[in-house]
Amino acid sequence: MNRSNAVSRLTWAGIAFVGTLLPISSFADDQDVRDYRSDVMKAMGEQFAALNQITKGKAPAGDVATQAEVLSITAGMAKIAFTPKVLGGEAKPEVWDKWDDFSKRLDEMVAAAADLAKTAKQGGVAAVTPKLSGLSCKGCHDDYRVQKK
Amino acid sequence: MVRVSKAVALGVMMLLPMVGHTDDKDVVEYRQHIMKSLEQQTAALGQILSGAGPTENTVAHMQTLALTASIALKSFEPKVPGGAAKPEVWKDWAEFSKRMKDFADKSAEMAKIAREQGADQAALHVIEALPCKGCHDVYRDEKKI
Repeated sequence: MNRSNAVSRLTWAGIAFVGTLLPISSFADDQDVRDYRSDVMKAMGEQFAALNQITKGKAPAGDVATQAEVLSITAGMAKIAFTPKVLGGEAKPEVWDKWDDFSKRLDEMVAAAADLAKTAKQGGVAAVTPKLSGLSCKGCHDDYRVQKK
Repeated sequence: MVRVSKAVALGVMMLLPMVGHTDDKDVVEYRQHIMKSLEQQTAALGQILSGAGPTENTVAHMQTLALTASIALKSFEPKVPGGAAKPEVWKDWAEFSKRMKDFADKSAEMAKIAREQGADQAALHVIEALPCKGCHDVYRDEKKI
């Protein structure tokens, strides 16, 4: 086998190997982890703000079920985003120091968001309004997010 | 006079739920929430597809993009300039709305393929389903982002 063919075969073998690893170890580096969880949390922030506007009559009521469903799906992705122990961004070290509590609260948030989405589909804005205040971000942010200065 | 005022007030109250926005600031804020959500979800999906994010979330991001795209055009229907939207959005409304409907249709198709055939097949449709830059180049003021 000449050198060129050997390199080519090694390269393809390398790509195939990386391909098989991707589903398991799918973050390329620590900054990717921080970027990804920031994207997920910011998306949730936008959904929550949009729902707040809707419940206050400041945005189209007809969007409530869609916005609640997007919030619910996004909430379901948050835990995976925080699972790699990578400090930085707006996450306090307590996220991983108190992982049991943090992940329990995330699970509760996911369940509450799923309930909100179901409620929105069935009862519209009137039914969502009282439940939205129960889906409080602040409790977790106070304990686990670095406060913006 | 009082009766006229009451009639006007009643008319305004009847219109509000149809419009769904209370003032111009609300309109701008709401469409910004929608567009920023799309931006975050697209960035997250982009990370995953470039091997820098968790692949198990691929289908979910595609679903959220399709759902949000389905309500995006409506958020631009009130003609309220401001935010990062250029006045061309409303000047070229027929073209803009055509592009937004196309975006909604193609992202819905991508999400459907993701659900039915898996993320790998759906990934082949990402570029077609998310033509963000084409619209942003024409209709978004980059200086106001």
